[in-house]
Amino acid sequence: MRASEGELRTWMVAGLAGDADAYARLLRHLLPVLGRFFRRRMAGRESEIEDLVQEVLIAVHTRRATWDPDRPFTAWLFAIARYKMIDHFRQHRSHCPIEDVEHILATEGFAEAVGARADVGRLLATIPAKQAEAIRATRIEGLSSAEAAARGGIGESDVKVSVHRGLKALARRVKDSIL
Amino acid sequence: MNTDDLIASLAHDVQPVGRHGPGRWLAAGMMAGALGTLALVGAGLGFRPDLGVAIHGAAFWMKGIYTASLGLAALAATARLARPDPGRMGWVWIMVLPVLGLAVVGAVQMAATLPGQWLAMWLGHSWRMCSALVLVLSVPIFGGLLWFFRRMAPTRLRAAGAMAGLTAGAWSATLYGLHCPEVSAIFVLTWYTLGMGLAAGAGAVLGPRLLRW
Repeated sequence: MRASEGELRTWMVAGLAGDADAYARLLRHLLPVLGRFFRRRMAGRESEIEDLVQEVLIAVHTRRATWDPDRPFTAWLFAIARYKMIDHFRQHRSHCPIEDVEHILATEGFAEAVGARADVGRLLATIPAKQAEAIRATRIEGLSSAEAAARGGIGESDVKVSVHRGLKALARRVKDSIL
Repeated sequence: MNTDDLIASLAHDVQPVGRHGPGRWLAAGMMAGALGTLALVGAGLGFRPDLGVAIHGAAFWMKGIYTASLGLAALAATARLARPDPGRMGWVWIMVLPVLGLAVVGAVQMAATLPGQWLAMWLGHSWRMCSALVLVLSVPIFGGLLWFFRRMAPTRLRAAGAMAGLTAGAWSATLYGLHCPEVSAIFVLTWYTLGMGLAAGAGAVLGPRLLRW
C-alpha cells in the first residue's frame, strides 16, 4: 500500500521529535516512493538507482532540519532526489535521455501538477466509481492490473474491462466538452 | 551496504531536531561575518570622525536604509534558497523598490543642484575605491553564510550563491557606510550598487563550486 503525503508527514514530524519507530517507518516507506521516482527517469539502471536511493535516504537523515513543516514533505523529498540525481549524472558524465527531461521539469511544476490532478479528479467523478477507481489505480498510481484487482477485491479481468470502458467514457466526455 | 541495515542505523540516531535550527544557524553565520566586516571597517579604514554628527543627518540614513533594505530582502531569499524546495521566488523583485526610491531621491537632488556640479556629485571623493571596498568587505559575511549553507541543503546552487553574495555585499555596504562620508544619492546608487552587484556576481560564480553537498 502506498503511503500518502499525510502519513509521510506524520512520521516525519514524529521522527524529528525523536520517535525512532515512526522514523524507521518513514524511511522504509520512502524506499518504494524513491524507487519509482528514479525508475521513471533512469529505467534499467538498477544498481545506480539503488545507490541513489541510499544516498537520498542519507541526505534525508542528515539534512532533516532543512524541511519546513509548513511546506509539503514530498516536495522537499523530491527536490532532494532530483538534486542527487543531477549530481549523479554530472559526476558520471552521463546524460539523461531527452524524453525524460519533461518528467524532471514536471516535478518542478508542483502547483501545475496539483492543478492537473484536480482536473483529472473532476473528470473521473463523472464516470461510475468502479471504473474511476480502476483507472486511478492502473493509470495514475501505476499499479499493475493484478495489484489493482487485489486491492479492490475484484477479478483481474474485471479491472481491465473497467479501465477500458472508463477510458472510453472519459474520451467521450472530453470530446463533448470540446465540441 | 544493505538498505535495511542503512535504515536501521539511520533510525538509531534520532536526536530531536527543532524547527528553528536553520534560523539560528543563519543568525549565527551572519553575526560572525558582520563582526568580521565591522572589525575590518574599524581597524582598516576607521569610522568616519564625524559619525556622532552624521547620524543626525538624512544622507547617513538614506544610505543605511537603501543598503539594509536590500540586505534584508536578500537575506530572506538566501534563507529560502538554502532549503531543497525554495518555492516560488518571484517576490525577490521587490528589491527594485529601494533602487527606484533612491533613483527618485537622486533625481530630486540633481534638480536642486547646478548641472556643472553633477559630475562632482556623481564621483564624490572616493568613487575609485568604493565598489572595490564593498566587495572586499563582503568576504567575511560571505564566509559566515557559507558556514550556514554547509548545514543546509541548497539545490539551486547558482541562485543560492548569487543571493548569498548579494546579502554579503548589501550588509558590507551598510557597515562601510560607517566609514564612507559621501552624501549624494547618485553616488550611492552607482558605486554602492556596483559593489553589491560585484559581490552577487562573485557569489553566482562560486556557488556551484562551494555549495555542493
